[in-house]
Amino acid sequence: MPLLAGARQRWPVAALILLGLQVALLGWHLHGEVLDLSRRLIQGTWGEAVRAENPFYCWLMNLKKVIPEQATYVFLDHYELGKEIEARYHLFPRRHLLLVPESPPSLLFYTLRQYGVTHILVREGQKPPGPGLLALLESGAAEPLPVPGPGLAFRVDLRRIKGAFYD
Amino acid sequence: MIEGVGLLLRLLLGLGVLLISGYALARSLAPASRRLEQAALALGLGSLSLTLWLLALAALCLPWRLTLILPLPLALMAASWVGRRFFSGTCMVEGFPPWINAPKPSGSIPLKGWDWVFLGVIGLILLFATLRALLYPIWAWDAVSTWGFKAKVFFLRGTLDLQGFEAHNYYPNLVPLLLTYLYICLGQVNDQVVKIVFPLAGLSLILLVFALLRRLGLSRRGALGITAFFTAGGVTLVEHLHIAYADLFLTYYTLGAGGLVYLWLKEVSLSGNLSLAAFFLAGLSWTKFEGTPMAGTVLLAAALSLLWLHPPGLARRLWSLSVPGLGLLLGYLPWRLFIWSHGIEMGTDHILGFYPHQFFQAVPALLEALVNPRNFGFLWPLAALALVVCRKKWVTTPLLYLPLFLGGNFLAILLAYAVAPTAPFEFPLYVRATLDRLLLHLAPVAVLLLGEGVKELEKGPEGLSGPVSLSSQDSGSFRE
Repeated sequence: MPLLAGARQRWPVAALILLGLQVALLGWHLHGEVLDLSRRLIQGTWGEAVRAENPFYCWLMNLKKVIPEQATYVFLDHYELGKEIEARYHLFPRRHLLLVPESPPSLLFYTLRQYGVTHILVREGQKPPGPGLLALLESGAAEPLPVPGPGLAFRVDLRRIKGAFYD
Repeated sequence: MIEGVGLLLRLLLGLGVLLISGYALARSLAPASRRLEQAALALGLGSLSLTLWLLALAALCLPWRLTLILPLPLALMAASWVGRRFFSGTCMVEGFPPWINAPKPSGSIPLKGWDWVFLGVIGLILLFATLRALLYPIWAWDAVSTWGFKAKVFFLRGTLDLQGFEAHNYYPNLVPLLLTYLYICLGQVNDQVVKIVFPLAGLSLILLVFALLRRLGLSRRGALGITAFFTAGGVTLVEHLHIAYADLFLTYYTLGAGGLVYLWLKEVSLSGNLSLAAFFLAGLSWTKFEGTPMAGTVLLAAALSLLWLHPPGLARRLWSLSVPGLGLLLGYLPWRLFIWSHGIEMGTDHILGFYPHQFFQAVPALLEALVNPRNFGFLWPLAALALVVCRKKWVTTPLLYLPLFLGGNFLAILLAYAVAPTAPFEFPLYVRATLDRLLLHLAPVAVLLLGEGVKELEKGPEGLSGPVSLSSQDSGSFRE
């Protein structure tokens, strides 16, 4: 096998070239992260400072101050966006329930009553409320909380949810 | 400032206990092995024993206080010391090449030239990963939703309590409990500093790759070069060195289990090798849900290799595989018993039916992931080339085990995609999000195959064809 015999003679050089190529490729793929890391090292902006740059995280920290630890909240968002897992992580031990923002009144009202929900969080405060939240606001059972941030927060008065409604 | 120093000391103490107890266990199980090998195994053994101990305490409704947690690792250290003090020199392996039982070399050849280049590549990548892990809080999806979240919950609740949330609650808990243990040592949730265990697991993995390559008979420079090649092979490994997923630990345990069983098949292992493999199979099963079937493939590939090669004492050797088999049960049964006794619902989110079209859709994705240098560099194409180089050996020697294990797992990956309940538009995204980490679990075993190929190339032309006897193939370069 002349091919393999030739390979046997030249393989160390080929292997070093491949290693060099790999290192170069890795550097190219990671250069953004390396630059960010270097910048943070120089500026001293690591750890909590990384999180503090995220308005969503700051909003969650503000919510921690107003939602009691034993409370249950409904988070209105889509799972795929990955924000509700952040909310659950940072707001624990508060009990977390997820519903999509488009949830109809029947589902939202049932969830509120069934699980004794005291707070509702909406990640996207700019968007118009979904049908469930709209019905809840019209019923007067939810009161907005003045928490600065990208989302909206409401305190729920379960006594004012009577039922007797249709989607 | 003082608080920061205190935090660091507590972290170092926690890690120290973990590593020293694992090191002690490695020394007890394989006393004739090298310090480097024992160091490579320390994190795996320490993490396994400590997290199983936390599970036992939770099952017995005992609180997770350091006064109850630490007696186990301290007992392991004491047992190792007593064992070495009173039973040293009784662990020679009969019938093995003399270098296996020989005392460790007293002096070592100094590093020079390319050795430093290879070490520099490995060191730089580990430095980047360590800084990336320590300076950034937990942020990656599975870390926030599953592993890190459970660790935080367990610490705040003071026990293994999975009520009131859904985070794949039936998944094994080695990684969450390891983080919980560090939180207990720190006395607080600090998801920044505990991430140090991930670069540490990466270092252990890299040490293990190097140690196994040396055991396979590669020269120090050859083994270092291949280890550097693996470490710099694409972004998948580097990402997993800091994103706080369980996949890095699964990769480490896969290499430990698969590599040690391979050494045993090749009869170049130390006494206690199968016991060590048993602990690593336990780690596989206790780290992730897919760890148990993967542990099964380690044993199946070993059994099939033995049946095909039909070595002398076949029945005895097949029976010996019951030792790692027991290890698998050690990692699997305690958690299953806990699940059963606590009424934890077993999820079926990954298995809801069989969709053959997904099997065929996954084939090109798998091939693309294997050759795309972004994921693993040139590792997989070169591992395939190594198979060609060793083409005559892998049907006549234990080398057969490596392609059997890898091929079996490729098939298992495709089958896993065929049973995944995803919508048609979602399937390519699902594959893209999971395939690199599934291949990461197997990558270090492919490195062993690459090592075998390099060893063949290091020999003369006769090494490129025909079977080579064990004694001639392994002893020379190891004793360099």
